[in-house]
Amino acid sequence: MTDTPLDFGDPADLDRLRREFRAWLAEHPLPERQSGEPVPVFLRRWHRLLHSGGWVGLDVPERYGGRGLTALHQVAISDELGACRAPGVPRIGYLAHALLEFGSEEQRLRFLPPMLAGDEVWCQGFSEPGAGSDLAGMSTFAARHDGFYIVRGQKLWTSYAQYSGLCLLLARTDRAVPAHKSISAFVLPLDRPGVTVRPLRAANGDDEFCELFLDDVRLEESERIGVEGVGWALAMTTVSYERNALDTGHISKYGLLVERLRRHAAEHQGSLPDGLLSRIGRCVVDYEVLVAHARRRTAERLAGQVAGPESSVDKLLMTRTEQRLYDTALEVFPAELSGVGGELFGDYLYSRAASVYGGTSQIQRNIIAKRILHLPSNG
Amino acid sequence: MDREEFVLVRDMVRSLATRFGVTSADEVKPSTRTAAQQALDDMGLADLRRTSPPAATAQECALLAEEHGRHPLTTSLLGTVLLAPELLRLLGADTSPGTPTIALTRELRLPGETPTDLVAWDSEGADSALCVTAEGTVTRVELGPAAPSADLVRSVRAVPPDAPVETVGRLAPPDRLRWQSYALVVVTAELVGAAGSLVEQAVEYARFRRQYGQAIGSFQAVQHLLADATVLVEACTSVTRYAAWCLDNEPPERALTAARVAKAEVNSSALEAVYAGTQVFGGIAQTWEHIAHLYLRKVRLGATLLATTDELLAALAVPEVTR
Repeated sequence: MTDTPLDFGDPADLDRLRREFRAWLAEHPLPERQSGEPVPVFLRRWHRLLHSGGWVGLDVPERYGGRGLTALHQVAISDELGACRAPGVPRIGYLAHALLEFGSEEQRLRFLPPMLAGDEVWCQGFSEPGAGSDLAGMSTFAARHDGFYIVRGQKLWTSYAQYSGLCLLLARTDRAVPAHKSISAFVLPLDRPGVTVRPLRAANGDDEFCELFLDDVRLEESERIGVEGVGWALAMTTVSYERNALDTGHISKYGLLVERLRRHAAEHQGSLPDGLLSRIGRCVVDYEVLVAHARRRTAERLAGQVAGPESSVDKLLMTRTEQRLYDTALEVFPAELSGVGGELFGDYLYSRAASVYGGTSQIQRNIIAKRILHLPSNG
Repeated sequence: MDREEFVLVRDMVRSLATRFGVTSADEVKPSTRTAAQQALDDMGLADLRRTSPPAATAQECALLAEEHGRHPLTTSLLGTVLLAPELLRLLGADTSPGTPTIALTRELRLPGETPTDLVAWDSEGADSALCVTAEGTVTRVELGPAAPSADLVRSVRAVPPDAPVETVGRLAPPDRLRWQSYALVVVTAELVGAAGSLVEQAVEYARFRRQYGQAIGSFQAVQHLLADATVLVEACTSVTRYAAWCLDNEPPERALTAARVAKAEVNSSALEAVYAGTQVFGGIAQTWEHIAHLYLRKVRLGATLLATTDELLAALAVPEVTR
């Protein structure tokens, strides 16, 4: 966290990119979700369309299929997407960063281009029934043999595994040493014998979450990312990025709803119930704060700071924004609550998960207290 | 300024705190105020924003305001060093003598079309005050006697209602927006510094203050209180620094929106953070001698200064005209 002036980018350059993007959008109308089309299938179509215009992975080096620009360019595009009522940006930033930082050159060249293109869809196999926020408690085990591993265990909350081809898998490779040194990371092709994917129905009716059963799944040594035992560091890096609204594409998702609320406010300014205009204003502020915060984080990263415990601050801010936003949206659009509830109501239910996934809000506070504020331990 | 130069200037402001920062409300006296302001004036910082182009960017000025806010200083850095010189620079005809500060309404808002009942805000070391009307006319007014302020470290003086009013110039519409945004950002930055500093002091206190045989900072309830306060300070910091950068780089309308967003966030979050810090200090923070209430006073008053949350939220709820 720097206390000297920050460079938030060259506005003329960012404006050029925004104009270029708007011009592209004008020629490529936003896709409509077809009736009965599952959300991930629809989002994948959108992902591929965006990629065809060069709008995915702006901050990923060109040799891996990106554009070699900066993360500030990515923020500008996320912002634009939110403002133009587009579906969310593909949530691949944190996966791409895991590969960029820990993958071998061969793995980066093999996996990043199809990931960015939306040709290969990834999911994340971190959580387990007995290890959610307490990642160190994981029990999935990869037993090493001569040149390969045999993996046995169970994963949970594996979002959209049924639509994915690859999984970023964490498994313990040594039972004799502490968790922080015994977890390794792998690329798991989900069509491998022994892998069973079972969707779980979520509170909002969606089948985003899945269980993943791994029964003696064979993984090659070349499918391990980094050396053995580097999984903890990779996980920490991945969740650091996952806790930043920019890397997960949440900014554009919130921006979309914020714009909808503002339009409603403009059209019904005189007739809004007491206090609702203020609550909409608060959502605008929350959203703009989050965007400014993502920009500052990005500027600090570009100035050389690596992602660390301050991502817990990002996660709590993201949660605040999301939960207040959807709560307010239901007050502004009460019709969403009639019947079984509309799409917005489903998103509202999902917003309650924001304080659980990627480490609960309480875990984030513990991390801030211990690793940023250096407060003493109990006892 | 290049980075080294900025760090040097920032450290000068920081050094004021070690020499002139008060340690309790009892130390806030006219003589100590004068000495501190004299030391600030001797640094020659009023030129940072007086020349065209300015020697310091708006972002640098906001960081100086943030640093100033971190300490219980009685100096009027904002009024006499940052705000009034900026106004004269925007007018483009800096022939005015003396050291002006700025004038606000008695409710501490930016004045409307026909300003009446003004106060000279942040007036230590000032010999006049500049007032900007809603249509951009800048006038110079005389200073009256000291006026009471709930913010004990801030000097405020009355403006005599019958004193002559001298017109200094007129701001073009974009410059009026620039001025408003700059004022919002500088004031906001000082509040961010104050809130951040009090939370840091509370964290420090939680490390050694013991209850039930252990440091209170080891209790999860206290840790979570301080963690939440830290999140709020970080949010305030991000949004204010970005708003400051917008002043240097974005068109005036966008800069104004960013400044309003920052003020709205800081109005509520900086105050919430100060509440948390005060809670951690416990009963001692409720005493006159303790420094916590100096921060609470500054931030509580700051939350209504220039623009209240309600005013800002209503304005921000509807889409920007510029988009």
